[in-house]
This record gives sequence, C-alpha cells and structure tokens, in this order.
Amino acid sequence: MLDIIDLHAEVAGVEILKGVTLHVDAGEVHAIMGPNGSGKSTLANVIAGNPAYRVTAGTIEFEGEDLGTLAPEERARRGVFLSFQHPIEIPGLRMDHFIRAGYNSVMKSREEDQLDPLKFDRLIRAKAKVIDMDATLTKRAVNEGFSGGEKKRNEILQMAVLEPKLRILDEIDSGLDVDALRSVSASINELMTPEKATLLVTHYERLLTYIQPNQVHILMDGRIVASGGKELAREIEIKGYDWLAERQGA
Amino acid sequence: MTGWPSGRAHSNSTMPQNDSQESHYLSMFAAFEKNGASDSPDWLKTLRREAIADFERNGFPTARRGNELWKYTDVRPLANHVFARSDGSNHEQIDFAAYKLPCPRVHQLVFVDGHYAADLSTEPPSQSAHRAETIGHRSEGLIVGRLSEAIQERLPLVEQYFNKQVGSSAFASLNTAFVEDGALIYIPDGVSVHEPIYLLFITTGRSQVVTHPRVLVIAGVNSKSTIIQGYESLITDAKPGFTNAVTEIVTHSGAVLNHYKLQREAANAYHISSTHATIGRDSHLASVALDLDGGLVRNDLCVKLAEPGASVKLDGLYIGEGERHVDNHTFVDHFAPRTSSNEVYKGILTGASRGVFVGQVMVRPEAQQTIAHQLNKNMVLSDEAEIDSQPMLEIFADDVQCTHGATVGRLDATAVFYLNSRGLSTQEAQQLLIQGFVSEVLSAIVDDAIRQYTDDAVLTKLV
Repeated sequence: MLDIIDLHAEVAGVEILKGVTLHVDAGEVHAIMGPNGSGKSTLANVIAGNPAYRVTAGTIEFEGEDLGTLAPEERARRGVFLSFQHPIEIPGLRMDHFIRAGYNSVMKSREEDQLDPLKFDRLIRAKAKVIDMDATLTKRAVNEGFSGGEKKRNEILQMAVLEPKLRILDEIDSGLDVDALRSVSASINELMTPEKATLLVTHYERLLTYIQPNQVHILMDGRIVASGGKELAREIEIKGYDWLAERQGA
Repeated sequence: MTGWPSGRAHSNSTMPQNDSQESHYLSMFAAFEKNGASDSPDWLKTLRREAIADFERNGFPTARRGNELWKYTDVRPLANHVFARSDGSNHEQIDFAAYKLPCPRVHQLVFVDGHYAADLSTEPPSQSAHRAETIGHRSEGLIVGRLSEAIQERLPLVEQYFNKQVGSSAFASLNTAFVEDGALIYIPDGVSVHEPIYLLFITTGRSQVVTHPRVLVIAGVNSKSTIIQGYESLITDAKPGFTNAVTEIVTHSGAVLNHYKLQREAANAYHISSTHATIGRDSHLASVALDLDGGLVRNDLCVKLAEPGASVKLDGLYIGEGERHVDNHTFVDHFAPRTSSNEVYKGILTGASRGVFVGQVMVRPEAQQTIAHQLNKNMVLSDEAEIDSQPMLEIFADDVQCTHGATVGRLDATAVFYLNSRGLSTQEAQQLLIQGFVSEVLSAIVDDAIRQYTDDAVLTKLV
C-alpha cells in the first residue's frame, strides 16, 4: 500500500530525512521508533503532505500512485490520514462542523453521498460511542481547552469518521495516562481492518504492548538503521538507542 | 463667511482658511435654517447655531500633524467632496426583502436618504394604538418613533436628553446642526420589549447626498430591549454618499440594552458615526458593531460607566478589502466603582485595505474594583493590507483588574495544513478558519433571529 524509496526531505533548508525506504502492506501495522530529532515526525508529515517540509529526493507511492505532486487534501481524499502529535486548537470552529466539512470534501471527491448536519450528527455520535468518547465534545471548538488525552481521542474520532486506508499516528501515546492509552489503543485496534495499514510513530515500547506491530523500524539521524519484529522494540526499551548508533558507526 | 451667533464662537481669524471645505456646509446651513428648520423649538435652534459655529471654528479634522484622534485617517477626500442635502425624492423601487429581519414581529423605522419611509416602516399591531395614546407621556408608554415628530410635538424627553454627551467634534457638530430626523426610542421603567427595534438607514446612491441620521435611546429603570441599527446602500455602483450618524444612549438603573450595528454601505461611501452611551447603576450595555463595507469608515464609540455596577460588553468586527479604510475608535470611561468592561474587536483585512483600531480605556481614581479587558485581533491576508492597532489603558485607581492586548497575524499555516489533512481544500480551510475567527464576535449577538441575519450578512461577505 505504501512504498517509500530513498526519501530525502528538509525543513527550512536543513535535511532531516536522509534516505528512508519503507514498505507497508494492507493489513499491517508498522512502528517507527527513534530518539528525539531522528526524523519520525518529519516522515509522518511528509507522507501526509505538510508543505512546511520539502522532499528533495526519493518517492512516496500510495496504492501505486506517486503522492509527490499531490496536495495534502488530495492525499486525505485518497485515504491517507495523519493523527497529529500536537493537534491544532481552532477557536470558534466547532468540532462537528469541521469534521463534517472534511468528511463531505472526501465524499464529494469520491462522488459519494454527502451528509447534512442531521445525518452527520448521527454518524459522529455512533463513532464517538465506538471510541468511548463524550460526544458533547464535538459541539465545542476544535481542540480548544481540550486536555491532552481529549485531543488525542479527538484525532481518533476524526479517523473513525474518515475511515482512511493508511493511518499514520504520530505519537498518539504522548500525554496519555495508562487508562487513556489502553482505551485509545483499543479504539485503534477496533477500527483496524485487513484493507487498512497503520504506521505508528512512537518513542516508547509501551504503546506496542497494546497495538501489536508486524514490524518495528528504528529511525536515527534520518535513516532507518534497524528493522525487525516487536522484540526489537523490547531490546530498545532495555538497551536504549545508543548501541544502535554505535553499531551504525562501527 | 461670518461667524454664527454663538457664545462659543470667538473670532474669524482663528478659523480654518480653506473656504472650499467648510463654506459649503455653512451655506447649506443658512438655507436649511430658512427652510427645513424654521419651525423648530427655540432650544434646538440655539443648539444648531452653536453646533455650526463649533464646526466653523474647528473645521474638518484634515490636519494630520498633532491631530492624535485622526492621525490614521485622512478625511481630506471627504472634506473636499461636495454633497447635497437630500430632497427626499421617492424610493418606490426598494426591494425590502434583502433587509428584512427574520423576526415575526419587529418595530421598524426606515429612512431613505435621510427621509422617513412610512411605507417601509412597521410596528407590531398591538403597539401602534398604544403608542398613539401615550406619546408625550414619558413615564408611561413605549416610544419607538421619529425624532422629528417628537421634536415637533415638543416632547420634554428630547430636550432633556438630546445632545447631552456628544461634544463638539466636527462631524458630530455637523450632525447636530443639520439634525432633521432619526429615531427616538424610550423604554419605560420596568418594560421588557420582546420585539427587536430595527432602525434602518438606506442610502440610494442615486445622487451624492449627505445625511445626518440621529438616534436617541433612553432605557428606563430595569427595562430590557434590543436595538439594531442598519446602514445600507441600495446599489453597489452608487454615487458616493456621506452618512454622518450620531447615536446617543442613556440607560438607567438596572436597564439591559443590546445595541447592534450593521454597516454595509457602498464601496465608495463615506460613513462617519459616533455613538455615545451613559450607563447607569447596575445597568448593562451589549454593543456589537459589524462594519462589513463602506469606503471610508470611521466609528467613534464612547461609553461612560457612570454609576456603580455599570457594565459594558463591546464587540466589533471590521472587514477591509480593496482600497477601503475602516477606523474604529472606542473609549470606555470607568467613572464609578465596581464597573466592568469587556471589549473584543476583530479585523480582517485584504487587498490594499487599511484598518485602524484605537481603544482607550480610562479608569478614574474613584473607579475602584474595576474590571476592564480589551482585546484587538487582526487577520491581515495580503501584503498590501495594513492595520494600526493602538490600545490605550489609563488607570488612576489601584484596586483594578485590567488586561489589554492586540494581535496581528496571517492565517496559521499549520492550522491550514491540519484542515487540508482532513480533506479540505486550502480555500475551504481558509474560509473555515476565518469563520472561526469571526464567530466569537458574532456569537455576542444573543438574539437568534438577529444572529441568523447578521451571520448571513457576514458569511456572504466572507465568501
């Protein structure tokens, strides 16, 4: 589903990704781990098309289509979803209005039925129930005054509504306590299907005890330096990243 | 040009020498005194003469240097433009549907080019008879009527409240000198008026006219009412018109008054308005000013929190586009203890437009336990657009809680990307973000039907 080949990207003239190659198939969960500043969030944002980042070399293909020239909304309409590490607060814009506008844009692009406010309200309530979220939050301004946990759950709600094929979750576990992490992870698992793929970006192995990855990749200094099963994550948890850096240097 | 008989006029030598600007209004006044104003009560004749003398002495505020109140706004084009008084010619082609409030019952007074339009004005049926009986009895019935009628009928109320807080700025003086018509609104003590009071001033744009709409509002003890003042241009490719409005508001103890202004004059129109409010003990004024259009716009909004417990909420939205210039000056005077003010003005500026916000808050020594918050936020969406934002807080009391702030920003690129990543195009994203930006101001309008109308007006403008 996702084929990234030798991807180089920079932000503000500084190269962050220095040749990333990654293949993710439908039905798979891949975890990207790495120390701060290794390029994990950059990779997530570049796949989603954040214009703040510039791809300088390499390709990203999604279902055989080159994403390189597509605007972020075009990627979203094809089924790429990014859960933000720091979801944006938008005072004055109601959550449900915002998600409905996004939902209808996606539906319109697929020539499928758009939903009026009443029908959409039913949909969003049902989705909120699935992910164990208080639906009254959707009547509030987007993320305004939300707790860290509410913001993350809100990202999952948007994902539940948009039903993307490729789910990129950028540090979905940051700012969550154990109970919230368990609950959010359960929602992510529940929404997973064999047609979908998941890319988890995380610092900690803890998330991977709730969401089982097929593969774990270690990103350091803009390159994937190791790939393996979930035992690799366990090893990182015990030994840290330094041994990989040393191995890389050796 | 000789000075007008007035105790305040000094000598001709101090007057501005540019005859072409002020002299036109002086000769217009001479004609008006002979014609339109000759049967006015003496107190009003005197006031008019004093006002024209003030205008003659002060002149238009065209000097840029040392003119703090007008340093961001150049009124020379307005001063140099020759406008005529409207002859009140007919207006039968007005399609009123565009201006109709979506309320089943409304007190509505409509003025076209400054002249009362009886056929467009309505009152809720039950009120008409009531009013006819009680006009003139200030402590009894509700009055929503023409100012000219009230003057004609020698209503003591008018003389008691008229021009008591306006001062002698050039434009307010001109309004007072040429005052002819407008509205008198009197809400008796203890009365809640459920229907909105809608005052609509339409400029036809068929000739280059100046109008001086005048509104006097007296809200009685513990009364409740909602007033919406609309300023509209009939046609968009209008001949430039000049609306020079003055509104005076007095609220008595415990009164609650919602005062909304919606200004959508033509792109080449001059719109100068000043609103002066004096708020009584434990009384509350909620003011929302929406300036969506107009060529050169200047609003002065002065609120005096005169007695303990008085409070005001001031919300404003101004939209600039093209070459337009919109200037809002607000002045909140915390005159008494335990008074509070909360002000939020927002601007959206595109094209080569220019916005000005000057917000002065004064807390006098006796105004202890005052709460004053002021915020001015601007979204500047083009390289040529400009905003001058100047909050001015003057605090002379020590037991106060005051904040103020001003921001100028563009659309947040990260927020646009956030919306993009949910499938929205950049244009859709920008629209939603701008709607979010203005919604705080729009939600200050608490009446659902009026809010529906003003939301539509703003959203239409933003598309």
